[in-house]
Amino acid sequence: MSAITLKDIRKSYAGGPQILHGVSMDIQHGEFIVIVGPSGCGKSTLLRLLAGLDPCEQGELLIDGKRANDLPPQDRDIGMIFQNYALYPHMTVLENIAFGLELRKVPKVERLKRARSVAETLQLTSYLDRKPGALSGGQRQRVAMGRAMARDCSTFLMDEPLSNLDNALRVAMRTEIKDLHRQLGATIIYVTHDQTEALSLADRVAVMKDGHLQQFDTPDMIYDQPVNRFVAGFLGSPAMNFVPADCIDDWGGERDIDVGFRPEALSLNRSPVRGPSITARVVLTEMTGATFIVHCESEAGRLSAVVTRGEELPHEGDTIWLSLDPSQALCFDAISGVRLDLPVMHHSQMPKTHVKETA
Amino acid sequence: MKPENPFLAVLALAAGLLFLSPVLYSIWMSFQTADAYYTGNIEFTFRNYEMAIGQYNFARYLVNSVIVSGLVTLIGLAVATCAAFAFARYTFAGSNLLFGAVVATLMIPSHITLIPNYLTLAKAGLLDTYAGLVLPAVSNGFAAFFLRQYIRGIPRALDEAAYMDGASPLKVLWRVIIPLSKPAILSMGLYIFISEWNNYIWPLVAIGREDLYTLQIGLARLYRVNPGEDIIDWPLVMAASTITILPVLVGFILVERHLIRGMMMGAVK
Repeated sequence: MSAITLKDIRKSYAGGPQILHGVSMDIQHGEFIVIVGPSGCGKSTLLRLLAGLDPCEQGELLIDGKRANDLPPQDRDIGMIFQNYALYPHMTVLENIAFGLELRKVPKVERLKRARSVAETLQLTSYLDRKPGALSGGQRQRVAMGRAMARDCSTFLMDEPLSNLDNALRVAMRTEIKDLHRQLGATIIYVTHDQTEALSLADRVAVMKDGHLQQFDTPDMIYDQPVNRFVAGFLGSPAMNFVPADCIDDWGGERDIDVGFRPEALSLNRSPVRGPSITARVVLTEMTGATFIVHCESEAGRLSAVVTRGEELPHEGDTIWLSLDPSQALCFDAISGVRLDLPVMHHSQMPKTHVKETA
Repeated sequence: MKPENPFLAVLALAAGLLFLSPVLYSIWMSFQTADAYYTGNIEFTFRNYEMAIGQYNFARYLVNSVIVSGLVTLIGLAVATCAAFAFARYTFAGSNLLFGAVVATLMIPSHITLIPNYLTLAKAGLLDTYAGLVLPAVSNGFAAFFLRQYIRGIPRALDEAAYMDGASPLKVLWRVIIPLSKPAILSMGLYIFISEWNNYIWPLVAIGREDLYTLQIGLARLYRVNPGEDIIDWPLVMAASTITILPVLVGFILVERHLIRGMMMGAVK
């Protein structure tokens, strides 16, 4: 039985536009699900519906196979970690962690024991008597996790829990969250707009846009086989390149498509090469650590390619030839953006790549 | 820390003394005998206090004032906090209209409600009772408005976290909102207490029994101790005034820190 099932969930607030347009998902026990999408795509709204903080009027929400649309938050066996942590500022760390148990009338000795044990797991033992105001961002984040963990919930909801941390701490906490997921074996539903977090943490990623679920699949599939141009462009850093192309079918008919290829699929050449290539002028190089991103201007528009350190780096203003292995290119319908299963033929010079439709 | 401007410090001291001088003078006067006061001599005595407490029943009035002001403050705060929580956190049919009505009560002078309140309590048989003194004052629109604004400043995520932890709305109010609103509630409590402590008109209208007099009524009575005589025993009046202001002064000193913090709230985000 699935841990959580969403069937055609729709949501709009009184007098406002529709936020969710029929979202359906099936989440298994112990899965780490990341919901990702740009701001305003409805991911946090979806999380609030799951938590029971907002009513779910349309569609069906099942928790452990039982209808939970009208179940109050406290009866859903769900813990939530808020974006701003929402720690009670007037309570100590220990009181914050134990508060949920106190409300559930767990005897004092038992709840303190459990709270201390959770604090130990999260390395918070030295801060038990401190108030949240006297903690660093990372420590507060841990307390927020501890508060949810103490209740021993089967599902945890996390609403952009790392967004207030600096980059180094975010990477460290990401690893800790992944470790905790392994230890606890609980279902985690994690909302973020950071695609790196989504791909590195998730067992499955749900990509959302404008209240529609675009794709719900493993990170590999999302990255390699995006269902549409939005998913392809949203996940991956730097973003996927798109160039316009003509698709010629077996009967000579033409249709406009976009060919997408990831920056790491492009090879930089200092002279013309055989096979599909694009002539471009380097406008900017960016160092990201282990790699450089080379931004170029071409007839097909702005493109980016990745060069690993140690390779010869072109200078700004240089003319280069970007070559591509056609098997790594993806085709998208120019109007609907839907991915088309078309092989890219390599007898042509891009842009306006010719794609032969064999189906 | 910014260095203090000596000119401003002297100005503040002078202003402080100016405001304090009538109080200090009345306290000094309260320890003088009437004869000494009128003849310009100095004669130190506790007799005015003994008279106020013993002969003029000020101990009883003090107890009455404490009971009435205390009950008005406690019940008023409870009502205002619950109303403020509801207005701050819930949207229901007519909630804006209802809140507008509560705010509108601030614009009604209290004297206008004097007669309707009197008639209502007379019908209910509550004149000349503690309930008659307390009940009309427990609904305080200003307190509801002030606390609602304060509660709106508390992140809603804290309520939601408590709901997720298993709290009911009343538990959220009691365990999260009230502790976090403590400065505002204390400020408002002191404000209500002082307003009720100084209330003269309503007890004058609602109370005829001497054993239910509050301090303010008792104080006014001292001016007509000797009808027909022009001489008022000012040292006695000042001793009674000192008894009247002392509890408020002590209360103010105890919660002054919170009061100033509460008053500044909302001024700067």
